[in-house]
Amino acid sequence: MSYAYLFKYIIIGDTGVGKSCLLLQFTDKRFQPVHDLTIGVEFGARMITIDGKQIKLQIWDTAGQEAFRSITRSYYRGAAGALLVYDITRRDTFNHLTTWLEDARQHSNSNMVIMLIGNKSDLEGRREVKREEGEAFAREHGLIFMETSAKTAANVEEAFINTAKEVYEKIQEGVFDINNEANGIKIGPQHSPTNPSLPSGGQGGMQGGGCC
Amino acid sequence: MFSRVRSAFMNVVGGIEPVVGMKDVDGPSDERDRHRHLPHKFPYTRPHFLQLHTEEEIAVTADHHIRPIIVPRDINVMPWSAGYAEAVNAGKSMLNEDQACIHRGLLTRQDRNSSDSHKAPSLPYVYFGIFDGHAGSGAAVAAANQLHHIIHEKLVDIIDHLIPPVVQMEKSSRSGLSFFFPGKEVSKESLITGALESAFWDMDQLIGEDKLKYKVNGGCTALAALFIDGKLYVANAGDSRAVLVRHSRSQPMSYDFTPESERQRVRRLAALQPELLGNEYTHLDYCQRPVQKDIGKRILYRDWYMTGWGYKTVTPSDLKLPVVHGEGKRSRVLATIGVTRGFGDHELKALYSNIPIKPFLLCQPEVKVLHVDDEEEWSEEDVLIMGTDGLWDVTSNERVAEIITKSFKQFPQDENRNKYRYTSAAQDLVMSSRGKLTERNWRTSEGKSATIDDISVFVIPIVDYKRDHSAWLEQNKALREQISANMNSINSNVVVERAVHNGHPQDEEEEVSLESVMNGDDEIDTSAPLRLELQ
Ligand SMILES: Nc1nc2c(ncn2[C@@H]2O[C@H](COP(=O)(O)OP(=O)(O)OP(=O)(O)O)[C@@H](O)[C@H]2O)c(=O)[nH]1
Ligand SMILES: [Mg+2]
Repeated sequence: MSYAYLFKYIIIGDTGVGKSCLLLQFTDKRFQPVHDLTIGVEFGARMITIDGKQIKLQIWDTAGQEAFRSITRSYYRGAAGALLVYDITRRDTFNHLTTWLEDARQHSNSNMVIMLIGNKSDLEGRREVKREEGEAFAREHGLIFMETSAKTAANVEEAFINTAKEVYEKIQEGVFDINNEANGIKIGPQHSPTNPSLPSGGQGGMQGGGCC
Repeated sequence: MFSRVRSAFMNVVGGIEPVVGMKDVDGPSDERDRHRHLPHKFPYTRPHFLQLHTEEEIAVTADHHIRPIIVPRDINVMPWSAGYAEAVNAGKSMLNEDQACIHRGLLTRQDRNSSDSHKAPSLPYVYFGIFDGHAGSGAAVAAANQLHHIIHEKLVDIIDHLIPPVVQMEKSSRSGLSFFFPGKEVSKESLITGALESAFWDMDQLIGEDKLKYKVNGGCTALAALFIDGKLYVANAGDSRAVLVRHSRSQPMSYDFTPESERQRVRRLAALQPELLGNEYTHLDYCQRPVQKDIGKRILYRDWYMTGWGYKTVTPSDLKLPVVHGEGKRSRVLATIGVTRGFGDHELKALYSNIPIKPFLLCQPEVKVLHVDDEEEWSEEDVLIMGTDGLWDVTSNERVAEIITKSFKQFPQDENRNKYRYTSAAQDLVMSSRGKLTERNWRTSEGKSATIDDISVFVIPIVDYKRDHSAWLEQNKALREQISANMNSINSNVVVERAVHNGHPQDEEEEVSLESVMNGDDEIDTSAPLRLELQ
């Protein structure tokens, strides 16, 4: 399916905050109740529409586990958007945000749009982090903020789409260098003659034309 | 003219420089066009155990900007929770040209007198293979799809040695055995080695034949590990490498075959069959390559049978290019190819010429054997590492051992997560060689240049095989006893009676469930004696 732009996202945050569940809810509209530890990266994709344009989101779900931190860091650079997730029922995941943010700022390209997400909003009774605290943190660091539930799907669409809107605006403003895929944005195959297309099936699917 | 040069340029394989568009090239263009219209025998894909199902997923793994480290989605498909991780190149070819395969096999003896396969003794094995493709992915894909089937056939061929028939075993004395071991004693080890060697040969022949019927481009190196009969057999043809990490120390399990390491073999062949050089290359080596104005002067050279240097007077034929040229990773045969063993490349021609390269390449593997069963002390941390050159070009054997040790140490030790430790270690190894993208270059954590090549790594725990094998030994012994007891009972009308746990012998005839023995169920107390009573 053709698209105008492809945006690459990463999802980061402590282990168990619900990163993989958010991705699954967004791409498959499903919830996974048991924690399947992510080792390294997983990925998913979905098409959305912004400003009448088809935009493909390619989302990299990283491992929150400390042991994988250096590998997780290596994925920041190629992303145009990041969802930084904490768990509203675990204060420590909120406390670690500063470290995550420093990491992200240090290893990503400077235009990366970061969306702060307080996940598990369905667990109101076990809340440890107030909504206002999340808002304050976001304001202080210039992030967009939302509370979501990967379980009930509340705000999940919005979180991904609002991030994309922000990226899209930055493109309109000319902030992003969209000709360098290393920044996490790719122009759709129909929209650019020089774009490398996906392997069209079969080995050595490319004929003559180089890549990169 | 330009297209000739271009196609010749694109024929350079195994290089370390990014060769843009190096793909799908098979000699003169008319030949290439014909080739292009052939069907694929196997479609391009990633290793089956990664469970990437759509073309899109496969395309995403080949993102040259992110170079994601891909690991199996479901660890439960991996034997012994073995680890695997891979990363695509930085753009030197569009597709990841490494391939890998895992196969669990079972050799079963079909004895004439037992039609029921459940009752037949059998021998399980586990196979891991990695293949580093060049000039296209066809050969590597072919090997990943077929080599294990060929090996299986070869093992079936020697099944009498691997699983001796039960009845003859019991009845015959030494002299009976010699039926299966005619003439001089041949060890199982040398038979399995032979099976691997002949499988590699057949694989290469098959690719050669398939190149006429299908689109099978390029060539590949091959590294296979076979866990069978209490031993580990590592067969290697090419520059991938297997290393055993034991007690945090590395121990090579294979030898890299490169133009540099095989200099002598290639030059000897060139000397004995100079017609293979097409009058454009020489089998001689020079300390410094002579040029036109050196003719008549004395220079240092060596013939194929020399490792040291001597003097000769330069003649015009000394101006030819040495058949093996360049040092280290840049060494090439006929100025074209950087690997000297593996499968495929049947159609490959030397750069700027029409000289076939295949005669200089071998598909013969070197096989190393590790006696897993002889040693008691295997720890959870003793692993076999198999990697393509993308790993080893940047990360040395010693460094690999360090990374593995560190990775195990820092991996959270709890029951739920333990099974991920080998995957995590494989990922750390790929990370070490892939590094991170900084500005425009991929750099290691120490700031050195990282590899821009494809990287694939297996991390296989040895102790799990040892455990499986010990369990199999017991089961097999029990099964053989059961079968031979059954045979005797059939032959002489014997009642088989099994002692039961509570000490009350059962009076009726009882079918002993051999199936449960096979499955390792604990239903049968194998220590309970079988009482054979003649009526
Ligand atoms: N009630 C509730 N549970 C959630 C929600 N999101 C995730 N969970 C649960 O939280 C646990 C962890 O979710 P994951 O998505 O696997 O966590 P993760 O952030 O991907 O963790 P790592 O992969 O280790 O980094 C799982 O048991 C989920 O079922 C949510 O919105 N509400
Ligand atoms: Mg996860």
